[in-house]
Order: sequence, then structure tokens, then C-alpha cells
Amino acid sequence: MRPFAYRRPADARAAVEAALDAPRAMYLGGGTNLVDLMRLGVAEPDLLVDVAGLPYDTIRETGDGGLEIGGAVRNSDLAAHPAVRRDRPMLAQALLSAASGQIRNAATVAGNLLQRTRCAYFQDVSKPCNKRIPGSGCPAIEGDHYNLAILGHSAHCVATHPSDMAVALTAFGAAVHVEGPGGRREIGMPGLHRLPGDRPEVDTVLDPGDLITGLTVRPLPFAARSRYRKVRERASFAFALVSVAAALDVEDGTVRDCRVALGGVAHAPWRAERLEEALRGRPATEGSYAEAADAELDLAEPLRDNAYKIPLARKVIVRTLAELGG
Amino acid sequence: MSTMTTRRTARGTAQGVGASAPRPDGRAKVTGRFAYSSDLRRDGMLWGATLRSPHPHALIRRLDVTPALALPGVHAVLTGEDVPGSRTYGMKVSDQPVLATGVVRHHGEPVAVVAADHPETARRALRLIRAEYEPLAPLTDPEAALAAGSLVRHVRIRHGDLAAARERAEVVVAGEYEVGMQDQAFLGPESGLAVPLPDGGVELHVSSQWLHTDRRQVAACLGLPEERVRLVLAGVGGAFGGREDLSVHVHACLLALRTGRPVAMSYGREESFLGHVHRHPARLRIEHGATRDGRIAYVTARLLLDGGAYTSTSPVVIANACYFAAGAYEVPAAAIDGYTVFTNNPPCGAMRGFGAVQSCYGVESNLDRLAAALGADPLDLRIRNAMRPGTILPTGQAVDGPAPVAELLRRLAARPLPPREPYDPRAMPGGVGNATRGESVRRGVGYAVGVKAIGYSGGVDDGSVARVTLAVDAGGPVARVRSAAAECGQGIVTVQAQIARTELGVERVEVLGADTGAGDAGSSSASRQTWMTGGAVRGACAAVRERVLGRAAALLGTPAGALALDGGAIVRADTGEVALELEEALAGGEITAEHEYRHRPTTGIDPETGQGDAHVAFAFAAHRAVVDVDVELGLVRVVEMATAQDVGTAINPLAVEGQIEGGTAQGLGLALMEEMRVEDGRVLNPSFTDYLIPTILDMPPVRMDLLHLPHPDSPYGVNGVGEPPSLSSTPAVANALRNATGLDLPRVPVRPEHIAGRAEEVRPGTT
Amino acid sequence: MRVNFTVNGVEQTADDVWEGESLLYVLRERVGLPGSKNACEQGECGSCTVYLDGTPVCACLVAAGQAEGREVRTVEGLADGERLDPIQEAFVECGAVQCGFCTPGLLVQAHDLIERVPEPSDPEIREALAGNLCRCTGYEKILDAVRLAAARKAEAGR
Repeated sequence: MRPFAYRRPADARAAVEAALDAPRAMYLGGGTNLVDLMRLGVAEPDLLVDVAGLPYDTIRETGDGGLEIGGAVRNSDLAAHPAVRRDRPMLAQALLSAASGQIRNAATVAGNLLQRTRCAYFQDVSKPCNKRIPGSGCPAIEGDHYNLAILGHSAHCVATHPSDMAVALTAFGAAVHVEGPGGRREIGMPGLHRLPGDRPEVDTVLDPGDLITGLTVRPLPFAARSRYRKVRERASFAFALVSVAAALDVEDGTVRDCRVALGGVAHAPWRAERLEEALRGRPATEGSYAEAADAELDLAEPLRDNAYKIPLARKVIVRTLAELGG
Repeated sequence: MSTMTTRRTARGTAQGVGASAPRPDGRAKVTGRFAYSSDLRRDGMLWGATLRSPHPHALIRRLDVTPALALPGVHAVLTGEDVPGSRTYGMKVSDQPVLATGVVRHHGEPVAVVAADHPETARRALRLIRAEYEPLAPLTDPEAALAAGSLVRHVRIRHGDLAAARERAEVVVAGEYEVGMQDQAFLGPESGLAVPLPDGGVELHVSSQWLHTDRRQVAACLGLPEERVRLVLAGVGGAFGGREDLSVHVHACLLALRTGRPVAMSYGREESFLGHVHRHPARLRIEHGATRDGRIAYVTARLLLDGGAYTSTSPVVIANACYFAAGAYEVPAAAIDGYTVFTNNPPCGAMRGFGAVQSCYGVESNLDRLAAALGADPLDLRIRNAMRPGTILPTGQAVDGPAPVAELLRRLAARPLPPREPYDPRAMPGGVGNATRGESVRRGVGYAVGVKAIGYSGGVDDGSVARVTLAVDAGGPVARVRSAAAECGQGIVTVQAQIARTELGVERVEVLGADTGAGDAGSSSASRQTWMTGGAVRGACAAVRERVLGRAAALLGTPAGALALDGGAIVRADTGEVALELEEALAGGEITAEHEYRHRPTTGIDPETGQGDAHVAFAFAAHRAVVDVDVELGLVRVVEMATAQDVGTAINPLAVEGQIEGGTAQGLGLALMEEMRVEDGRVLNPSFTDYLIPTILDMPPVRMDLLHLPHPDSPYGVNGVGEPPSLSSTPAVANALRNATGLDLPRVPVRPEHIAGRAEEVRPGTT
Repeated sequence: MRVNFTVNGVEQTADDVWEGESLLYVLRERVGLPGSKNACEQGECGSCTVYLDGTPVCACLVAAGQAEGREVRTVEGLADGERLDPIQEAFVECGAVQCGFCTPGLLVQAHDLIERVPEPSDPEIREALAGNLCRCTGYEKILDAVRLAAARKAEAGR
């Protein structure tokens, strides 16, 4: 681990200023991903700005049924919040399907969004990786990629985003609050996370110094019927091969509205916009769900060893929607 | 002579042989006070770290350590040139470099070591070493290695009249199977503390399975006589075969001797995955010929094990794989050829089950195929062909001792299948991932049975030494047991204490720490330690007892044969009435005796035919796995593992159960998730993030049915119990998956992608 | 840097702490409490689980500076003097300890579960302990131990 400085600023402004002080400053939340990456030598900050103690650790219900979630809220607290469990089960389920109790107790909401990929080549500093060292190459494309991306990848990177929570938030279209050098702004999800393109080293649209202070999840009444399903290689504590967050609004046998996002398939949590479009106004039947899933998965470009993810994703989508559709 | 009251009757000694006595180290382990090999500290101590090769095969063009040495806080940087004695080591063949010189032959091979005043300083120093490599093409395909003559050992076994058996066979079924590279994945990382001694020697506190064989190798590398190298067993955080080979041993000693200061080394998890041998990945071709009435006529087997870059225990792993490649069956004819090859993959060696895991997987997989071809029930077919006492093994030896294979299988058959539970998403395949609400979930049942030799086979001259002292101190009568048997978690310390209690009739027993000052106890492997060191402790106790009863007899004027030890006193054998307090009997001083236990001799096998009386004893276990498989998503939930095993006399029933449950879990892991993924010789997943082992959510209840047939040759009738569960559990799960899905699934571990979407078109039972 | 925190009820000051050290390292190397274990140092095995302000976390992933002013309780702080906590007793009694390397973390995590859920069901136990890897036992005896300790605590509380 390279030497670095450690600071605990008093507020968000001070944090942003501190972060701009050093060329490779990083914010430290719960540490559950960053501390590990530092030990592996994958992350080499010269300054850690500890923001875990800043007053962004509350969850507030807005009067209209929305939620304001602080960036420093612990994953376990968010999963347990009554308004999440009651009104947004897919978010609670996504949180609880991730990692372990100990990790959820420490991990923050902002840190969860900013997790780095678990691609084995990224994690191993002795191997090339365009995300870690731009231009060094992507051995996963020809190598071990059975658990990597089928959507939105590039010739430079086929990594996936590891977060479960972010998939549910992407389905909700959550708005991310950012405190940055130029002041405050909001970024909608999807939109926070990038696709790799030719700059896979950049995970998000955040600029240097940008601090996620929280997010807003606007009211979505039909999300009271929503679900997160995750397929992984072990009964717990493993990353998704494929996951689906879905909420469905059905009236008189017709899909009025829906929100669907996929995890484990792309460099970013994948909002299934084509699917949603194809499904709105259609009868709430398995046939419609399958057609809509195909509309989305037609975009998939599997690698040599991960084509199985396409039918897998299709089935998880259809099942999830079928369950929600009654 | 005092006249203590003798109006007392002993009521037997509690917590002796047969009791589920608590572990003597249990309290220390639950309070955090137990000192593992990674917990040892000394004033003025330095930290060691290891530079490892990033390449699977390369020439070392340059190794410049001067920048590392210049870093403040760094006290030594050593390379292969600094090894004063043998530059290689190995349990069987000394071919593994202490530190590579000239060439590296596998990813993770140690190249240099550093000692510094902080572990982080040591790690930074590693990065300052200028190591330049010229990569060479790695040899990574075992078939190519075999073709190129890169052979460790070929084991050839020919049994019966194969030609005639082929004539007789009406149904022939052949299958090819593969086993991925499993890792022991013990939780306590490789670690130790080396302390330089004033006489120029060194004392090494380390995790080990066999201190004496470690010392032999360490002393040779240090260029020191063995008597100046003392090994002390530090707390061991699991082993499972992965601590049979050296890890930090020589490196820590070299650094301590060079710096004159104690040096601690402790691997991180990634380094641990790179720093010990793995279970050999295997390619297996098994052919069964049978008559229509379901009798096995012959078995042929070709086993190819990838030994990786160095010999380790490969020559004996392949032998063990071959010995039982015909399974736990009566097989009149067999032709077995096993090969282990050198490649540039990570070195492979010992892991629980030691070769028999791979061959059991192959033969039990093919047996289900044979059952399908015969239209027979897989369980009936197994029972019909079950091995029994007197069965001639492919190696020509007649099976002796208990061999209740059919009975074990019948016990499994008699156990009711688990009922379908009311719907609970947590009890569905995929668990809390909510992936399944029961859509496309099929249940499957699979059986497997395995046999393994207990103790060392093939003419190894094996023994164990223990020393026992009977004394009275301020706390009353006490027995002290000293041996070098390595406690790795399995409970040999408990067993030794229990035996001393039973043999000497005292409740207070101290099992002293293991070190090379004691006699050689042999390895904590091959499921041998309870039998061997148990035998040694029992023998030493018997000698102590004879002498103390002799003294008592002289004092009492009673024949020694009329006396016994019980309840911390000398009692009359017939009534149990206390005849003399131990304090009086030991007034002339404590009594110590040493005993070396040896098992019956075995012979090696003939290199051409594989014939020989190679084995000490046999142990058997069978498993039935019940699985629920979501055939669309490929998700599996093991609903229940039922097992039947003959454990002989159980010295500690609770510990026996723990061994069986733990071995079953490791077998389940191999079936469903555990694999070191290696690409062009490079390990891809050296972490618990990516090398998955079963969690508590993956493990179903283990239902157990134990037979306790006393083994006629062993102390108390014990038999080895640690390894058999790791044989049959894997193929039982695989057979259950095949039963549920109708897929061939030739390879373990079976991942979701191997099932997902492939099973829907296949009806179960139609392979 | 200097880190002030409370460990098992005792105020501690660790000096000369390097920023890159973890809470686990500080506990093991600077406070003399090696009970929390260093099995993976990636948060994947749970053997370093400690209470941090009353919540179980993996000490290996807590940066030393983040312990400032916090309360930590480790496996060494579960017993009341020489009297073991029921969960510790039950682990020994039920055979839930073999090599014991996972034990300290499991004890803290199981202790927390029983505090929160006095009589946990088997699925609840399994979910709560899913972040603690054990390689020796196959978990069966660990389940036994948690059930026993929960029953005893419930009994004592009645």
C-alpha cells in the first residue's frame, strides 16, 4: 500500500476542498471496497478524505411518498427502513442479497454506488487491465469472462458493475445528489455510471472532488409490488451472474407502467428501457414479458463463454414480471 | 507411610475413551487467547515478506535487491543465492527451490524474501526489488505434458483376466470425467515465527501437519544439523493436507539467522492461495463392463492428474488414486493406469482424500451411467456389487477388517427421503437471491460410496512415539502426555487426553505442546493420527501403569494383577475400592514411559502389475444427496446430505461427527463451487471473493448413520474417519444433479452455467 | 497518527499508527488483542468480526483512523471475567470449535444475533452467519451451539 494522508473534514464543503488538494484523493465511506482495493494495490490514493462521519446518515420520508437517503446511510439501515420495505421491496431485497451482514453494517449508500468491478483481471495488479492501467489491454476478452458483461461492453473492457443496490435504484430512476467544486447538482440514474467505451478507467460521470451526499427516490406507488431477483453461484455472499429489479403496474390485465433494470450484465446497472417501452400497454402475459425481454436482450453481444447469460437473463426477467403481474 | 483413608470406591474416570469430552484448547479458542502461528510476537521482532513470480514460466534475467535493501527499516533481502544448504526441498523429492534461481516454473513461486520492521515496509521493499524475467511458453495442458514425457509417475495395476471379463461383459459403459483444482482453503494463513538461538541454531514456531519431516527439510536447506533446528507447533488454523509441504518455514529461518532477530511471517489470503499445493485437477476415463444381471465384470481406468511444477506428494497421490479406482466393489478384473505429470501450473499435492477423491468421483459417476444402461436402480447396483471382507482388490490384497459396504448403502436406503417443505424462498435454490419461487425446480437424489486406505500404504515404515508421565502435584494426580502429533483442529489433543484418562484413571490430563523435542509422531494426514498416536499414548500409558501398579503391589503386598488405576487412585480390580492413593504410590517419584506404536507392515506394489499387500486398513463411507435444481437458472440447493460410515470405535463421538460434517461440506464445495481457475498457468481467483467455499446457507443438514465395528488391528478398535466423507460426498451431489436434470455433467464443480437452459429439453433419467 | 478509542470497556491510545493500518491490525499489533483473526483481510470470511459502536463489522476493512472515538468490543470482551458468555460455552460444548480460526468472528456475530433476536429460527441463524466462513465443521455444530446459547439466554431471561 502506498503512503497516503488521512483527513476527516467537518463538512461537505471542507471535504470537497480537501479532495481537490491532492491529485489522487479519494473519499472513504465504510471502507468495505476501498480498503480492500488499497490493500490489493488496485487503488492508490495519496489522500483519503473520510466522509463516513459527515451528517448524511439519515433517511427522510418526503411528504409525497418519496425518500431522501443520505450518502453515509449504512446499507443495513436502508434495507431495514420501513418505507423501503413497505414501498420499495426491490430495493430492500437488492440490499439484503448483497455481501454479508457485517459488510452491510459498514458499507454506505454512496460507497455502494461507487464500488469497483470484481473482474478478476482488475483485482490482480500483476495482470493488464485497461480499467486499472489505461492502454494496458483487456485480457478478459479472450480469457476468463464467464461472469462478465453481455451488454454495452467495448473492445477495451468487458467488466460488470458489482452493486445490487444500484440496480434497484436504477430501476427507480433515483437522483444522486452531488456536492462538487462547482456547487451542488443532481445526476439521474441511469446516468451516474458510464459504459466503458474507450475510457474504461472512468466508472462514472463524477468529476474530481465530486462527493455523493445522498439520493432522492421519487414516489413510485406501483413499486410496492416490486422484486429483486439475483442468480449467483453460491447461496449467499457472491456477486450476481444476472440480476433483475422490476416493478410492474398492471390494470385490467394490461401493463400500464413498469421499471426494469438488470445487474451482472454490463459495466453499469442496466436500465432496460427497450423492454419497458415494449411492455407498456401490452397484456400482462408471459408472452408479452418474453417479447419485451427479447427486445432488450437483442442488444446483447455475448463473449465466447458467457452466452448463457442471455437466456438466463430472459428467464429471470420473465419470471420476475410474471410473479409481479399475478 | 501415611495412612490416608482408603474407604473410597472409584466410579470410573469421566471424559475417557468413548466420551464426547470437550477440547482441552476449547476455552482458549473461544476467548481469543489461543495462540495461532500468526499471533506470535517477540520484542525486537521483524516481519518477513515474499516476492513471488508473476509468470508461470520464465527465466530470471536480473534480480537486483539493492534498492530494497536501501529502504529504511529493511534489515535483509535474500535470494536463492543466500540459501546456505540445499537450495531445494520436498517431502518426497527435493526439487522445489527455496527461492527460485535462474528460472521460475509456476505463478507465485518465491523469488526473494525480505525482513523489515513493519509488515508494510516489508511489502514496499518487495516492490523495490528489480526482478526482470524473460517469459517462456508455459506447459499447461496435462495431456501435452504426458505426450512430452513430463511424467512424475505412472502407476499401472493389472488385475484378473481382463480379456475374459471383456468377453463376459454384456453391457459396457465408458465415461470421461473431470475434476477441477480444489483448494484446502484453511482459514489460518501460513505463518510462523523463527527465533535465532545462541548456538547458531534456530527455533521455528509454525503451523504444520508433521513437524519432524518439516525439520528434516528445513535443516537441510539451512545447512544445519537437525539437532540445531527446533520446530514447535504453533496454533494451526486448519490444514486438510495443505500444510504437508513447507511454506514460510525456510524463509523465516533464513531471515532470522541472517538478521539475528526473531522474524514473523504471515501470508495474506492471496499469497496463501499461491503458497500451498492444491488438490490435483484430474481427467478420468472410466469403463465398466457388466453382465445383464448387474454384476461388474471389469473396470478400466485411465487417470491423468496435473501435478503442477514440482513433485510434492504427487507420486503417492496418483498411487492412492489408482488403488481404489475400481471403487468399493467386488471387481474380478481391472486395468488401471494413472499418470501424474509436471506442468507449469500451480503445484498440487495433498488434500483430504489424497487422490481417492478424484477416482471415487470418476467411478461413482460412471456407476450411475452403468445403472442407467442396465436399467437398474443405482443403489441396488451398488449393493449387489459391494465390496466385503475377503474381496480381492485390484492390487491383489484381500480386504480385511470390517467392510460393511452393502450395510452402509442399505442404511442410506432405509432413511426416509426429506419431505417437501412448505414454500419458503430461503429454502429454494438461490436462497435469499429470491431467484426462484419454485418454477422449474426439480428434485434429484444421488448416491455414492467410497473406500480409502487408512494410514500410509505401499511399504512406508510408519510409526508414532508418545511419552506419558504420571505424577501428583499441588492439583492432585495428573497425567502429562507428550507427542509431536500436530493438532490442526481435528482433535488429536482431545483424543490423547481421553486415552490417558481411561488408561491411567486420572481425570486431569495435560497434553503438552508438540515440538521436535518429542519423538516423531508422523503426519496428521491419511486419517492416521488417532490410530497411530492414539496407539502410542495407549502403549506409553500401559507401561506407566505397569510400573505404578508394580510399586503399589510391592507397597501393599498384593499381586499387581489384582490392582487397577481408577478415579485418581490405585484400586482393587474386583471391587473398585481404593487400595492406595496415587500420591503414596508415586512417593518415590513420578513415572514416565515412552512408547512407539507401529502398524502392521505393508509392501510396495509391483511396478508392472501393481500387485502388493499395500494397505494397513480400509475405511468406508457412503452418501445420499438430495438436491433441488432450478433447471432454468442452473441454481442448486442441496436439501439434505445423508451419510453412513463405519467409524470403528469412536474415541470422541462429537469429534467424529464434526469430521464427517466438515468432510461432507468440503465434498459439497467441490461438487458445486470450489475451483482454482488457472489460465495459461496463472491463478485467476486467489481470494475468498472469487474462490467460493460453502457458507452456512449452502450447507444442508447432514443426517448421519454410524456403524461402530471395532477394527481388529487398531487400538480400541478405532478406524480413520477424517477422509472418507470427502470421497463420496462429491459424486453423491453430482449424481443427484444428473438425476434431477438428465444432463451428463461430466465435470465438477458444476456451475449454474452448466445447467441453465440445458436441462429443459432433457427428461430426467434419460441420459 | 494517534488513535484513541475504547476496546472492551478500556480506553486505549495507539501511537505511531500508520494511516494504512486497519482496525484489525491496530487491535492485534498495537493493543495486544490478537483474538480477532486475520484469515482473509478482505471482508470475505468474517473471522475478524468485532462490534464497532455496537454493530458487528469486519475489522479488517475499517481504516485505523475510522476507529477514532469509537467503541470496539472483540471476542476477548465477550466473557465476564472468567465467566464465559453462553455463546462461548455453547461453542465448546457442542463441538462448534475445531481449528477455531473462524470462531472469534462467529462468536461476535452469533452474540449479536441472539441479542437482537432472542430465539432465532434456523433460517435466521443461517442468514445472520452467512458472512462467516468455516472450513472445518460444515456448520452443523455451529447451528447447534447458537440454538443452545439462545435457549439458555432465553431461559435465563425468564
